[in-house]
Amino acid sequence: MTYVLRIVATAYLFFLVAWPVSLVVTHTFDDGFASISSLLQDPDTVVALQLSAYVAVFSVVINTLFGVGISMLLVRQEFPGKRVLNAMLDIPLSVSPIVVGLALVLVYGGRNGWLGPTLAGWGFDVIFSTPGIIMATTFVALPLMIREIVPVLEEIGIEQEQAAQSLGANAMQRFWRITLPSIKWGIVYGVVLTLARSLGEFGAVKVVSGNVLGQTRTATLVVEEKYLNFDQQGAYATAFLLAMVSVACIVIVAIIRPKNHS
Amino acid sequence: MTSTEIARVRPARTPRRSGPRSTLTRSSGLGLGIAMIWFSALVLIPLAAVVVTAIDGGWETFWATITNGQTMAAIKLTVFTAAGVTVVNVVMGPLIAWVLVRDRFWGKSVLEVMIDIPFALPTIVAGLVLLSLYGNADSPLGIDIANERPAVFLAFLFVTLPFVVRMVQPVLEELELDVEEAAASLGASRFTTFRRIILPSLAPAIAAGAALSFARGVSEYGSLVLLSGNLPFKTEVTSVRILSSIENDNVAAAAAVATVLLAISLTVIVLLDLIQRRVAARG
Amino acid sequence: MSIEVSGLNKKFGDFVALDNVDVTIPTGQLTALLGPSGGGKSTLLRIIAGLEKGDSGTVNIEGVDATNLPAQKRNVGFVFQHYAVFKHMTVAKNVAFGLEIRKRPKDEIEHRVNELLKLVHLSQFSHRLPSQLSGGQRQRMALARALAVEPKVLLLDEPFGALDAKVRKELRDWLRRLHDDVHVTTVFVTHDQEEALEVADEIVVVNEGRVEQVGTPDQLYDEPANDFVMSFLGEVTHLGGASLRPHDIELETAPRMAGAVEGTIARMVRIGFEVRLTVLTVDGDEVSVVATRTHARSQRLEEGSTVWLTPADGATMVPRMAVAG
Repeated sequence: MTYVLRIVATAYLFFLVAWPVSLVVTHTFDDGFASISSLLQDPDTVVALQLSAYVAVFSVVINTLFGVGISMLLVRQEFPGKRVLNAMLDIPLSVSPIVVGLALVLVYGGRNGWLGPTLAGWGFDVIFSTPGIIMATTFVALPLMIREIVPVLEEIGIEQEQAAQSLGANAMQRFWRITLPSIKWGIVYGVVLTLARSLGEFGAVKVVSGNVLGQTRTATLVVEEKYLNFDQQGAYATAFLLAMVSVACIVIVAIIRPKNHS
Repeated sequence: MTSTEIARVRPARTPRRSGPRSTLTRSSGLGLGIAMIWFSALVLIPLAAVVVTAIDGGWETFWATITNGQTMAAIKLTVFTAAGVTVVNVVMGPLIAWVLVRDRFWGKSVLEVMIDIPFALPTIVAGLVLLSLYGNADSPLGIDIANERPAVFLAFLFVTLPFVVRMVQPVLEELELDVEEAAASLGASRFTTFRRIILPSLAPAIAAGAALSFARGVSEYGSLVLLSGNLPFKTEVTSVRILSSIENDNVAAAAAVATVLLAISLTVIVLLDLIQRRVAARG
Repeated sequence: MSIEVSGLNKKFGDFVALDNVDVTIPTGQLTALLGPSGGGKSTLLRIIAGLEKGDSGTVNIEGVDATNLPAQKRNVGFVFQHYAVFKHMTVAKNVAFGLEIRKRPKDEIEHRVNELLKLVHLSQFSHRLPSQLSGGQRQRMALARALAVEPKVLLLDEPFGALDAKVRKELRDWLRRLHDDVHVTTVFVTHDQEEALEVADEIVVVNEGRVEQVGTPDQLYDEPANDFVMSFLGEVTHLGGASLRPHDIELETAPRMAGAVEGTIARMVRIGFEVRLTVLTVDGDEVSVVATRTHARSQRLEEGSTVWLTPADGATMVPRMAVAG
């Protein structure tokens, strides 16, 4: 019985994940490193990769600040509407990326959005521009950090902070010396996961970015573009680069997590 | 999306003796205010805009838009495929989780990482990955389902793989062996032990994973772009339908269909909240 | 007087944790707050420390009105039941924390930490993480950490509650000796009357949010203010209209004394040198009596014998409460 289950599970994962993923790797290296090096010589692709990295860093920073702050409030404070807020923070997990894009266009669209024209009047374009891509990416990755930190905060409790307080530490000192070091690993995981998600966002970015070559086209959009333009090698090579980063992210998480939780 | 964020259902706050009173100080209140402004600007107002735009044209227009033949076909395909995939996950998820928790063999940690790959992999890359094995003239398996309905099923299966597994795994880890042994010592067969003892403890986790998996399937877009061909009445899913409305500058139609998807997401979130609360109450 | 609490009230929702509490805690003494769980003693301690805020009333520490002072400005040492160690810091860093917050010079901190670790017998563990220490060691570290800042008062919340019986006993003796050395005003919360009687100079009995009695262990044991204090400090039985200790009842096989109550022995259990009897009196009371083995044997007591009960000379007696509890 054990063996049957083991074989079924392994076979399922092999056909669904392992084999397909390995094919992307082998396709990429069909001609050795040629496809990767030609990719890195294409200035538009390089710009796209840079844009993806830039957007991901922004999304990570914003979601980290927001995530740490809101998690502290959710765990440590009582206020009316907390339960509703707690549930609403999960919304981005189950909203279609296309709907995310549409929602942002409806509010921040330069021509017809609720706030877009006003912002444009101040010289601040959101949609079809980098801020829109950052917002879309931040939206889809928003719950990840919170979901990492909240359980850690709940587990450590408030006694250590109270002990620090009775030893004379003020609110800032307690946060920097006690709380932050205690949730450090939760934040590290959150950052890694947010980074992977942000680099990989496709649908929402497609709607808000305008997909302008060399300006607002991100790496994931390049994959689609190249594939549809029959540049399979280029598509596989770009996909390989993205897959490498995301797989590296989850391997890092897999390696550092047990140490902290055992 | 990721490995662990679904692995940990956020526990509901413990009920206090006092009612919902505020413990906010001036500075934490200010922090909450700033956080709420950002959350509203990023998430709440835009989502509200979708709903408002959808009902702006009146109920009839809304209804006509979503019952349009092509849209209805897309919604049906999405919902039924997501439901079917969820059924597969409900069976395979606990099975895989069981193997990961209870079995010991060489290479298990590789399986662990494989579960997380669909989370971390960009969806467009996920589509490309599946295409290389199942949608290619020179597929090593000789299978080419690109632009066919099974492709949609396959894509959903790939992206929703981790949900049930990662929900069930921690619960299974905490399930104590001695409870099973006690059941066995009382004369229960392995099947009875599974049905009467293990399954009821896993049920909330499976339900939560199934809800997330269904929601993810319904909202999927990126992995289908290259794989399904987006053929109207055949492989076009709801997200694609919305996108084509956006590209045709028919924002009202896009918003109407998007509202249907939002309603589904919201139902799932409410369901999740209820499940979590039940689990928390059980302690 | 070191700590003066007056008119203190605290509610959690509908639950009254403290009901108009007035208590004064003497300087330099080791005081126990004794009472059943949920009686409000921990809440009182936390309000003194500033970790909780009273709804009304005042707290005065060493002549300073501390009612509205935040915890970090009160200069009290607080030791938690579950130690509240800083998990990410070494033992030495934990102890140094309060001094670092106060920005003392490095060499002074080092000197003081070494001194304290020696005092709590943890010198050889200074570079370990708390997770590598046993429960008793963690609690001693927490104590050193609280003492490092030279607090005006030291507050301990069920300090030995999470430890097993043997370690608990050792630490109890050790705390007593430590206090005799350090002489800082110390208040500890406990629900264990034996712990309070053994260690404390003074005991404050707290129940249902009120102070029932304040006094030395002897005063409390010999002159309990009421039935609750009496029953909380030891076994109690009821004879006639009074509460008294089972070993303070004299038992005769003939009615020699006036006012003796007649009864029958319903049950007899011998535990070592002691014999525990349950006597059903003619008034319908069930009275517990403790006699020595020798006494029981000389009187030829057995189940079913008729006996006469009287309170012993000098027995501690308190009028019985309307509702025994």
